[in-house]
Amino acid sequence: MKRRTFLRNTSLASLPIALPGLNQTYRKLLRYLTDHTDKILVLIQCSGGYDGLNMVLPLDQYDGLSKARANLIIPENKGLKLTDEVALHPALAPLAELFKEGQLQIIQGVGYPEQNRSHFRSTDIWTSGSASDQYLNTGWLGRYLDDLYPGYPEGYPNPEDPDPFAITMQGTISETCQGIGGNFSMSVNDPFSLAPLTISTAGEAPDTYYGDELAFLRDAILKTNQYSDVIEAAAEKGKNLVEYPDNNNLANQLRNVALLIAGGLQTRIYVVSMGGFDTHANQIAEGDSTQGAHASLLEELSSAVAAFQADLNALGKQEKVLGMTFTEFGRRIRSNYSLGTDHGSAAPLFIFGSCVEAGILGHNPEIPDEVDPLEGVAMQHDFRNIYGSIFEHWFEVPKEKVNLLLYPEYQSLPLLKNCNAATSSNPVYSTFPTARIVPNPVRQSGQLVWDHPGGAIKVQLMNVLGSVISTVYQGNPAPGPQSINLETHRMSPGTYYLYLVSPQGQRTLRLVKL
Amino acid sequence: MPPPPRQDLSAYEGAWTEQEAGHLLRRTLFGASPDQIIESVSLGLEETLNRLLTDLPMPDPPVNFGNENDTYTPIGTTWVDKPYGPQETNNEEVRFRRQSLISWTMQLALEPNGNIREKMWLFWHNHFVVSDINDPKYNYNYAQLLRKHATGNFRELTKEITIDPAMLRFLNGNDNTVEAPNENYARELLELFTIGKGPQVGPGDYTNYTEDDVVAIAKVLTGWQDLGFFAQRDLPVESVFRPNRHDKSTKQLSQRFDSVTIANGGSDEYKTLIDLIFSKKETARFLCRNLYQFFVYYQIDDFVEETIISPLADILIENNFEVKPVLRRLLGSSHFYDTELYGAMIKNPMDFVGSTVRNFSTTSPEGLAPTYIFHLLLSRAVDGMDMRLFNAPDVAGWKAYYQEPSFYQIWINSTTLRNRQDWINIVTGRKGGNNLEPIIIDPFPLLERCSEPSDIYTLLNEWISWLLPQPITDGQFETLKNTLIPGLPDYEWKLEYGEYLSNPTDAEIKEALRRKLLDLLYTLLSMPEYYLA
Repeated sequence: MKRRTFLRNTSLASLPIALPGLNQTYRKLLRYLTDHTDKILVLIQCSGGYDGLNMVLPLDQYDGLSKARANLIIPENKGLKLTDEVALHPALAPLAELFKEGQLQIIQGVGYPEQNRSHFRSTDIWTSGSASDQYLNTGWLGRYLDDLYPGYPEGYPNPEDPDPFAITMQGTISETCQGIGGNFSMSVNDPFSLAPLTISTAGEAPDTYYGDELAFLRDAILKTNQYSDVIEAAAEKGKNLVEYPDNNNLANQLRNVALLIAGGLQTRIYVVSMGGFDTHANQIAEGDSTQGAHASLLEELSSAVAAFQADLNALGKQEKVLGMTFTEFGRRIRSNYSLGTDHGSAAPLFIFGSCVEAGILGHNPEIPDEVDPLEGVAMQHDFRNIYGSIFEHWFEVPKEKVNLLLYPEYQSLPLLKNCNAATSSNPVYSTFPTARIVPNPVRQSGQLVWDHPGGAIKVQLMNVLGSVISTVYQGNPAPGPQSINLETHRMSPGTYYLYLVSPQGQRTLRLVKL
Repeated sequence: MPPPPRQDLSAYEGAWTEQEAGHLLRRTLFGASPDQIIESVSLGLEETLNRLLTDLPMPDPPVNFGNENDTYTPIGTTWVDKPYGPQETNNEEVRFRRQSLISWTMQLALEPNGNIREKMWLFWHNHFVVSDINDPKYNYNYAQLLRKHATGNFRELTKEITIDPAMLRFLNGNDNTVEAPNENYARELLELFTIGKGPQVGPGDYTNYTEDDVVAIAKVLTGWQDLGFFAQRDLPVESVFRPNRHDKSTKQLSQRFDSVTIANGGSDEYKTLIDLIFSKKETARFLCRNLYQFFVYYQIDDFVEETIISPLADILIENNFEVKPVLRRLLGSSHFYDTELYGAMIKNPMDFVGSTVRNFSTTSPEGLAPTYIFHLLLSRAVDGMDMRLFNAPDVAGWKAYYQEPSFYQIWINSTTLRNRQDWINIVTGRKGGNNLEPIIIDPFPLLERCSEPSDIYTLLNEWISWLLPQPITDGQFETLKNTLIPGLPDYEWKLEYGEYLSNPTDAEIKEALRRKLLDLLYTLLSMPEYYLA
């Protein structure tokens, strides 16, 4: 029997955990034994697939970018410069502020191999945390919660866990929180208005399709009532300490999240969302690429996030909360002629909070003068490594367990700094800064050269759609300068990527075959 | 897990009682009245199907029900062919016309004609989604197209929807030109509207088509534009083909389409393309799966795929893509009447709200404006349960029909549960509000429909058989009985009811009885069983 199951069975609730004066060591021990962390994750789902290249501007690639998307590029001098290589869209000014204050990390090129460009399938992949060719019926957070609270929804809520484990603000509950036995998230529109529902008294539902749905409904009604009381109580008790922007639906959602956190709700996961990022046409205003539909979306996103973070800081909850955006894919490098962009591959992802390792993780995508019409931004970071790093360093899930929850090749990324002594130390991370392909473009053959920091490394060749064609090299070479031969004579002309991946880090290099 | 139903498509020849008839009507209408159920029992399955599948004449268009400031549309006349007025009146016109369209859609859905057309309309609306196109004239046009082909020809509908003005706008077909191909519609045409996406088996290869096909098909579809969006002049809503915007090259499809090429065909080229897509059996299978998930159950396992979907696809193909023979076969099959499936579907919001109206034959007040307002209130309730007509969440439609693993359960969350309960409070008179009076159920017709209303057991059993998909437990039965005669012996009901019968004009007695019956209905309709169809 697992230790924590044992503790559960002996009714931990009866132990005097909450009493003041309990000695520190004992408390720590209890906390460890019960796997409880009080860390909160806030997910911002940006539906539609956002155009990362018009959000995080690659200043060192502007020649290529200007050619590929002449009709909607943000003028270089209008970007808000974060580093010599990277600037943000002017409508992301509040995020630029967060960056300067050390509360924002930008992760470049987040996606997965074998990019699927369907909204629905790719959203499934992101919410379930699966591989591109893997179909999972549970969400990535649902699996984590299932592991902590086996048997859910049976037996919950209870005196030990009175609060909902996850809350989705507005509308449909989030697929990320789908567990084996049910979805862990409650949907809340207005936390102040949660009238009780009628409970019907009946025996067991029959073991039929009909009975399945009936049991689901009965349980949903019961849980809604039980959780409503605690949500309402937290909403009454909590208080927002800053003003949020008006007419901003995302800000409304985040304001309620802050309110519930301030009110002491122990909910660990909040999911908020905004749509409209599927900008196939007219993403900018004619005549001014810094205005228009996409700019409005970015304004809504960034001002809401900034207000939320300011509120958390004012409430003193900043070290308890980590925020993250995600979207199902980025858009193509080339714009289309409708002043829009079509479905692409990887996109940047934003992580915010006072515990993040502020800065930019990864490189700008390489954008040459000639870009294939179908080409998206190549993946540098598998999204599951971000999920996994949140599990490992934020929720303190042991690495072996992260491998099980996500995938065996999970690699830890430096997302967090040592905040409040709760997280383990950051992994060593290398982006293989000296790696390059010579010559590039290649004809008959070429070489990959790099300085190896030590440890295992795998090099994969991908096509322009992000599909893995072959594993070029896999081994454990000595630290120091390394090179491998690239047999390119059989490859058809076009654009490819080399994806270097090791336990210490990753790098994506663009390869052109003539 | 319960054992799944294993009946096949052979004609159903079992018992035809209120349970079977109720099952069929709950799945194919937006709620049925006891009269309709009883009538169907006497008609039999075949005759009920005939009625469900009869072609109806197209309805009269929606009208201006109360905007005195519509520039071109006097009250009581239709706006569907009228321009918008100048800036000052425009916003109000759009708002009123939109309300008129949605109210009218609800009116059609709740007509007690025992016909499947409006349910099929919703099916197509969820299949060929157009969302968030704010010009009500565009939405009307689109809606009528779906209605015209509701039980008609899938291939013909696909052709027409491809160049429908609202669709051209929604999926950027109007931006799709030879110089600037926009592949938005091409992708959804394949993935969601016709052949469906198979597993990704190679780079950009989704089994049934490839990324390159999306690019080539976008080219086939170049050149179309919509006309008349929010027009302030007397212009019809229509589509035009502009040869100079069309890609005249020969388009090469992948091996998934047998590497065929499509030569320039001008304004008819899209028809060649759609015929090609329909030459693949997978297209027929894809539609049959969608119909199955909409009318029968969300889960399609190997047995259902082979025993139900595949033969239905054959029927669809044999009938040149006419949908009616498929519906007839499915809805008349022993598979459909497997008791396992009775009540195994969570009512969608239109079903749920519709049931509370149609189960009790509630009628709207007389008059143009009251009729429109009554149905508008119903549509608002449907909105609150996460189903906004003409505003599906995205091009894939409502998640309840495609999102694994929860499917129908997606309609239910703590917010929509509250709104469903709130609606039950309203229809049983527990919560008042503006214009809500006519929505409150009149329980007397239901009482009088009973074969022996003075007997409490007959009364309850009959109501349950009309309102719920499956019998309930003895404990639940006791609870319901206790709502009507709390802690009293059974004969007290006979006395109470007798009192009313002997004093039919005594308003006080009638009101007391009405409240008691509404209490009973409140309890019954609040049961999760009532959420199921």
